[in-house]
Amino acid sequence: MDETVVLMALFRDITPVPDMLDRLRDHGVGEQNMVVLSGIPYPTRILGRPMVWERLPLISLSGALVGLLIGLFLNIGTPLLYPVHVGGQPLIPIPPTLVLTYELTMMGLIVSTFLGVLWESTFPSFGPKYHHPAIADGRIGIVFRCLHSREAEIRALLEENGAEEVMMPEERVL
Amino acid sequence: MPEQEHHWVMVIDLDRCNGCQACVVACHAENNVPTVGAEGVVHGRAMHWLHVERFWEGEYPDVKARFVPLMCQQCGHAPCEPVCPVFATYHNEVENINAQIYNRCIGTRYCANNCPYIARVFNWFDPEFPEPLNEQLNPDVTVRRRGIMEKCTFCIQRIRRAEENAAAEERPLNDGDVQPACAQSCPTEAITFGDLGDPESRVARLVRSGRSFRLLEELGTEPAVVYLKEGDVYVG
Amino acid sequence: MSVEAAPLAWPQEEAPQEKLMLDPRPPEEMNEMVLNAMKKTGWRYWTVVGGLALLVLIGLVGAWGYQILEGMGVAGIRRPVYWGVYITNFVFWIGISHSGTFVSAILRVFRAEFRRPFTRAAELMTSFALVVAGMYPLIHLGRTWRFYWMIPYPNQRQLWPNFHSPLEWDMLAIFTYLVGSTIYLYLPLIPDLAMARDRSTGWRRRLYRLLALGWRGTEAEWHHLKTAINIFAFAIIPVMFSVHTIVAWDFGMTMTPGWHSSIFGPYFVVGAIFSGVSAVVMVLVIVRKAMKLDYFLRPEHFDALGKIVLVFSFAWTYFFFADYLTEWYGGEAVSRELLTLQAHGPVAPLWYLMLITNIVIPWLTLWNRRVRTSPRLMFFITFSINVGMYIERYIIVAGNLTRNRLPFDWGVYNPSLVEILISIGSLSTFILLYALATRLLPLIPVWEVQEGQFAHSLRRIGRSLVPSITELD
Repeated sequence: MDETVVLMALFRDITPVPDMLDRLRDHGVGEQNMVVLSGIPYPTRILGRPMVWERLPLISLSGALVGLLIGLFLNIGTPLLYPVHVGGQPLIPIPPTLVLTYELTMMGLIVSTFLGVLWESTFPSFGPKYHHPAIADGRIGIVFRCLHSREAEIRALLEENGAEEVMMPEERVL
Repeated sequence: MPEQEHHWVMVIDLDRCNGCQACVVACHAENNVPTVGAEGVVHGRAMHWLHVERFWEGEYPDVKARFVPLMCQQCGHAPCEPVCPVFATYHNEVENINAQIYNRCIGTRYCANNCPYIARVFNWFDPEFPEPLNEQLNPDVTVRRRGIMEKCTFCIQRIRRAEENAAAEERPLNDGDVQPACAQSCPTEAITFGDLGDPESRVARLVRSGRSFRLLEELGTEPAVVYLKEGDVYVG
Repeated sequence: MSVEAAPLAWPQEEAPQEKLMLDPRPPEEMNEMVLNAMKKTGWRYWTVVGGLALLVLIGLVGAWGYQILEGMGVAGIRRPVYWGVYITNFVFWIGISHSGTFVSAILRVFRAEFRRPFTRAAELMTSFALVVAGMYPLIHLGRTWRFYWMIPYPNQRQLWPNFHSPLEWDMLAIFTYLVGSTIYLYLPLIPDLAMARDRSTGWRRRLYRLLALGWRGTEAEWHHLKTAINIFAFAIIPVMFSVHTIVAWDFGMTMTPGWHSSIFGPYFVVGAIFSGVSAVVMVLVIVRKAMKLDYFLRPEHFDALGKIVLVFSFAWTYFFFADYLTEWYGGEAVSRELLTLQAHGPVAPLWYLMLITNIVIPWLTLWNRRVRTSPRLMFFITFSINVGMYIERYIIVAGNLTRNRLPFDWGVYNPSLVEILISIGSLSTFILLYALATRLLPLIPVWEVQEGQFAHSLRRIGRSLVPSITELD
């Protein structure tokens, strides 16, 4: 089996990046073996990368549902557990129930969206990872794993096509 | 023995009230209501559960004083109850009065703001009972600490005692067994207390008398304090 | 008389308009600017921080501690004015907290591009204003040490809270909003924290490392983050509306004269946004000057915010008048008494001042672009608006309680020294938290500004260069 090597190419401009991703694919770098790092968000369709399947809305909705159920329990369950009558109002009044149920539904939505985005991005993870401080300075980085035997030709290709620098990235503790 | 439901009602005959304030003093004594001194009263910190409102009518020399003894109206649909976040005040379904549980109160004072009768009082400070008032504290009633809302209870401790006495003697509660401190002390017998559930009770007859009205009745609070008024009585 | 035709002046090549920050600088330079502004603390800064800390100690430890030990009686509230300055402050700070969400979330949802540099400054205000507002229900409790009885959890007292009570709605709504707005502040902060992490050393690096959660800027991370921010921007808006609506319902649900009104919900929301956006302007003017952020915070932003303030001044006036006219025309005797109190009573000077600051001043000044683009003038206008909005809440809370249906129980309310010290202490808490945050967190969302500058360009149409916006997603 051939040795593989991890390379990082830094670009100053976004324009050549999608083409370079294609060329990397031509050179046998699989889709799962490359990742684009950037300081501002470039949508996958600009990069020509496969869409990321997004489970976040689903997670948010489930959270909202849990919130709704908690809200209903508080409004309907607790008065049945400990009935106390106030002000001639029914034990389980519908209009105030709507207020709190709504509020707890939103709470469920908010909390689950937050937990969901952490889960989906596997945050927090401080372990050593390929990273470069210049990314936040507007550089666009392609990190990819390629066969050792093809390293030289890929380096040459990238450098010809606008890569500022192609290097072996260090795994940094974030 | 299942608790018997009551509908306690207080009837106050304004034509009889002469504004002597004996009821106010009796209420303070019975319910361990602290006094706050003249300065406290000026600052709006008086703790009277029951106070006699006095209104002047007419121009000198034809001046009339009107007295309205006012306390918690023990509303059937009490505005103070639903707004309390911790159920410190709620509707007691057995006695049909508006109960105030001191231990639950956290002092939001929301109930006081929502009381159209301004009948509730707040413990601005820890209560003080200077000598010799401490000698006459009623052991049947808790002394409330600072930060707690309180109000007229229809002398719930007297209601309970009368009920217990009746139960001990294995007889039903009779009309007149329960007498709150204010009614007991009223020299003109302007205050009558009883169970409206019993159609033959004195309060039931007075309520039917045609002279009766209730304060701010249009608000729909269903007060359990009924006032009687008819004549153009000249007082003072 | 001969008419001399003026020589036709063709518009020359127009200079690019002062809009959308169309003079991008290299990202590394912008990063440095933001980080340097954050790291610079002079003696002036520490004097301000020290002074504020002292005021917080006096107000919140000293005065509040005294009140807890002695009892609520040390405050000026009295029968029948059971709520006073504390609840006024509460409503005021909840109002300020609407700044962040309105400016950030609504402008984000509508893709108002000018929002980019100051969303974070506004979002920070939301969270800190909520912290300050959240203290007031505790400060005003008679038994502060029992506040947790309002929290719904199974307990040995075998009693759940009363969900009929607007205060209970209030507590849960504010908690939801605090959690939501803090996360909404935090999410867009992550990439900037990662940027700061890569460029700092020592305790700062340790702090940013922890907060940045290991952000690298991969496509997937960006994608999830953008989705989450989008969900939040939509979710936080109805929460924001509900929070101030419920605060208004604290009053509207009662049968107290001057409070029982179905218009209070939207009226309070509009007032909250009015004072909240005004407060954003005040904060922006201060941080722009103190931290030398002129590159990021420009006249165009004050211009845009000035328009929002003016529109909300119109809206506030509309609701105010609708409420006033209803009370005036068909109100009960006690309502008339309340209106008389405002027009001729002890609160009359405040009431007229409110009309001047909330209506006259904004209407006379903010239509003018030159006024709107002057940070100094905008500061004074928005400051006076916040004074006016404070008065509005004071009159609604404390003023309306002085009169009620039974005239024997009318009373006069004057705030006591303790109430004033606590109010100053809480204001200082807000400023102190904000001052500390400006040195700990990147105050400008750098990545969003850079994203904006990437998406904005000048396009030649005919003889003019016009700013144009590329929609990236």
